[in-house]
Amino acid sequence: MHRAPTGPAAGMGERTMIKVQDLVKWYGPTLAVDRVSFDVPEGQIVGFLGPNGAGKSTTLRILTGYLPATSGQAAVAGYDVLRDSLQVRSRVGYLPENNPLYPEMRVEEYLHYRGQLQGMDRAERVARIGEVCDRCGLAEIRRRTIGRLSRGNRQRVGLAQALLHDPPLLILDEPTAGLDPTQIGHFRELIGELRGKHTIILSSHILPEIEKTADRVIIIAGGRIVADGAVDELRAGASAGGGLRIEVRSAAPAVSDAFGSVAGVEGVQASMDDGWCVAVVTAKQDCDVREPLAEVIAAKGWPVREMRYERASLEEFFVQITARQAEGAAG
Amino acid sequence: MGRTLIIARRELTGLFYSPIAYVVLGLFALGTTLIFLGSFGPGEPAELRPTLRGVVWLMVFLMPAVSMRLISEELRSGAIEPLMTAPVTDTQVVVGKWLGAMGFLGALMLPLLGLVVVLEVYGQPDYGPIVTGLVGLVLVGGLYLAIGTFASAASENQIIAFLLTVFVICFFTVAMYLLPQASFVGAGLRQAMYYLNVNMQFEDLNKGLLDSSNVIYFVSGTALFLFFAVKLLESRRWR
Repeated sequence: MHRAPTGPAAGMGERTMIKVQDLVKWYGPTLAVDRVSFDVPEGQIVGFLGPNGAGKSTTLRILTGYLPATSGQAAVAGYDVLRDSLQVRSRVGYLPENNPLYPEMRVEEYLHYRGQLQGMDRAERVARIGEVCDRCGLAEIRRRTIGRLSRGNRQRVGLAQALLHDPPLLILDEPTAGLDPTQIGHFRELIGELRGKHTIILSSHILPEIEKTADRVIIIAGGRIVADGAVDELRAGASAGGGLRIEVRSAAPAVSDAFGSVAGVEGVQASMDDGWCVAVVTAKQDCDVREPLAEVIAAKGWPVREMRYERASLEEFFVQITARQAEGAAG
Repeated sequence: MGRTLIIARRELTGLFYSPIAYVVLGLFALGTTLIFLGSFGPGEPAELRPTLRGVVWLMVFLMPAVSMRLISEELRSGAIEPLMTAPVTDTQVVVGKWLGAMGFLGALMLPLLGLVVVLEVYGQPDYGPIVTGLVGLVLVGGLYLAIGTFASAASENQIIAFLLTVFVICFFTVAMYLLPQASFVGAGLRQAMYYLNVNMQFEDLNKGLLDSSNVIYFVSGTALFLFFAVKLLESRRWR
């Protein structure tokens, strides 16, 4: 039953924890994951971001060995998730979406059970259960029945279970779903404490939960990776798409012509709103066009209601990307 | 083997947390005692044979009640996911769950041991057939629980798992008793059907005959359904 491990890939210089190549997953006629490829170096915290049904959970389930991919390869710590599944599973701590637990068991009892499944002996389990309970804030409720715990505490049990065998890779699927803001704060701190000790992939459909904890964000929509990079990089890319929003009382074509002739202006989008013209002006790189535009407005004598920089946040960027994907899927 | 036993132990404790366990224990003890009293009296031989002949029918409905939640409950709650992403094989999951249910079967046998004590007090029982009869009952239970494990891997609905188990068991008991009596069934086929009949296999043991052919029947039948259960669980990953 146990196949001989092929061992971590030779020549792993800066060690790669996860290697995913051209992963495809069909559920019957539905394409859930569409040629997804990414590598995660050891120690990185990766945020997996995407709307519901984007293929996040499916990708994570393939990495844990729960689901086989239709085609493509995935490896964890150099072990193929399909061929060396048991090797992968003992190196992964996994918190599934919805965090299913056994409600009739006590917290400690459940952690012992999970530790046994991971092949830990009694002394090791006792020591590690003490550690993870302290770390996850379970010390007070170790003897409580899981079925009677609050959502937040249940999530802690799930996380403690994932950390128990001190796995090099943690895969947390929607770990903050259903938690209140305080609990989310605690969770973020905990992830911060784990930084450097584990490679972590956490998924979410809410950006702020990820952008503060993750070193890198992979945005996935419609089964495809649509953006992948450090949080700052993505934010820079997003704000480049921003523009100057000006509201003046005039006709849209006149505004469009006048603003378009200003040096440094790349494009003008003008529309009418209740007698006011709303113009969004995009400038060329490193050009501040506010002053020349103000001069134009003054020369024309148009009343001004508003002028401000509209900096697209990462959030808007995310919404834009995912909306585009949704349109693409619908069309 | 270690992880199989870990899963078995959790399953057994899980069973005792569910109300079904106590309903089954109660019904089994009650049914067994009633059947026993029907054949217990002065002048009757001190044996369990008529009792076990009835008890084996009780198993047709009570074993599926024990096994119906084994895997279907995990499929429903999603607990199958952490289980199948732990470093355990599908075979360990299936055999562990079945073994846990077998542990419960052990608890069910306790009232029968009480009846043996009653026989000892009021007569001189012949222990040979009693022992083979009880072994036979465990073998029947093992087969039914294996069928039940298979059925519970087929559906996340416990009722469906229960009904499917009863249906398959009835095939090996009722159908394999009635069909061979039909006029169109030839002698060879009739022999084969009687061989497949659980009750007839059990009756040999109940009589006090410990024949390897009966044991092989039960062991291979159990292994076959556990194998089906493993394949069914594996196939879930591919859907």
